[in-house]
Amino acid sequence: MNARQDTHDSGLGVSFIISTVIHLVVFLLLLWWGQLFPPIMAVQETYYVDVVNLPVANPRAGSPIQKGNDAETPPPPPAPEPPLSMPPPPQPNARGRAATARKSEKTEKRDTSGDAAFAERMAKLENKAASQQEEATLEQLRKKLKATGSGRAGMPAGSGSETGSDYTAYVQSRLKDALNQTNDYDSNNPMVYVHLYIGTDGKVIRQKLEQSTGDKRFELAVQRAIEKAGDKLVPPPNHKVFEGRFRFRPKEVSRSKP
Amino acid sequence: MGLLNVTGIVVKIDLLILIGFSVLSWTIIMFKFFQIYKANADSERFMDFFWKSKRFDAIASQVDRFNSSPLTMLFNEGYGELGKFMEGRGKADTSILSTDLGGIENVSRALRRATNSEITRLEKYTTFLATTGSTSPFIGLFGTVWGIMTAFEGIGKTGSASLAVVAPGIAEALIATAIGLVAAIPAVMAYNHFQHKIRVLIKDMDSFSTEFLNIVQRNVAGK
Repeated sequence: MNARQDTHDSGLGVSFIISTVIHLVVFLLLLWWGQLFPPIMAVQETYYVDVVNLPVANPRAGSPIQKGNDAETPPPPPAPEPPLSMPPPPQPNARGRAATARKSEKTEKRDTSGDAAFAERMAKLENKAASQQEEATLEQLRKKLKATGSGRAGMPAGSGSETGSDYTAYVQSRLKDALNQTNDYDSNNPMVYVHLYIGTDGKVIRQKLEQSTGDKRFELAVQRAIEKAGDKLVPPPNHKVFEGRFRFRPKEVSRSKP
Repeated sequence: MGLLNVTGIVVKIDLLILIGFSVLSWTIIMFKFFQIYKANADSERFMDFFWKSKRFDAIASQVDRFNSSPLTMLFNEGYGELGKFMEGRGKADTSILSTDLGGIENVSRALRRATNSEITRLEKYTTFLATTGSTSPFIGLFGTVWGIMTAFEGIGKTGSASLAVVAPGIAEALIATAIGLVAAIPAVMAYNHFQHKIRVLIKDMDSFSTEFLNIVQRNVAGK
């Protein structure tokens, strides 16, 4: 009986070889599959952009917009398109027309040199009309810019004319916008020098009135402007406390060296 | 496959054990499949031949043709015991009755012993399938738990809990459970299938034993 069992179990070795081969084949298939469809597991690198020190494309728009400002300022209105065709030259009145007709009758009799002079006059008139149109468009744009310039305090759409390429310019722009809203003074030409300290969280941690012409009303207006602008300032770069001296005038805020 | 390269040593050992289990279980599955298939086929052919034949000695001379059938083993054992009984009966005629009964019992015992022997042979190695089916998922789970522990340790060191950091570690760990299931599922299915086939063969052996004893008793009583 044992001999019979041995005979029957001889197939076990063959089965083992077949099983091993099958497993190897499956393993190689999986390898091939993995090469055909490599798993996407690459860790994406995170890039941090210092938006405060980012160069600004349009300096008139102030510093770049920070996230967190809930109210977004609308984009500036597009410039009015210039007319496709030039306006027609002013039509002469009836008397003028008659005179012109008479003149034209006379000129018909003249030689062709009169036509050239007429064309030259027409070109001058057209040029004048075009320059007038351009001037009017520019004037319209300037008016709109003045109208939209007074943005909210701390918002980048303010009327600050600074480039905003550094944090001081950014703070200056915000202070100027805020001062436009809180502006109030008694004397003719008040002036205040304030030393500001802005913490790493963007809050004004200290303000020091260093010099003043003595206009208390203007000093209060400056204080309110600082409070207003200081609400929504972005943190200074490099996690350092910002320190700067500013000169306040009724419609002007400028940097001042100590 | 890149996952395997980055797993820890414990998970690698775990995976090797599981692959070993899988290779062995598939070896047994294939071996048992052919063994039971041949046993069934030979048993059917042997039963046809058995009922068509008139004499035991004629069957005994042809029984090697159905070597894979467990019924041939039963027949050989029963026929061998019957031969011994017939030899003993020719030597001592004075105690026929008692010897007859003892001889049939001997044949019955021989058939029972052969049946048990064949059941043991048919069920050999199937316990490994049961073991693979029940333990492989747990071995895989162990690898997964270990891998996740290692992954969390790495997360703690890097200090980042983003999906990009957490996901690869968990994916590496889960491959152990996956391979454990790959090894266990065929093993469990094959085990259940073979158990059913073996039960059918046991019934056939019981029926054949009964028929063999009936034939022997009829012939002995008739003489």
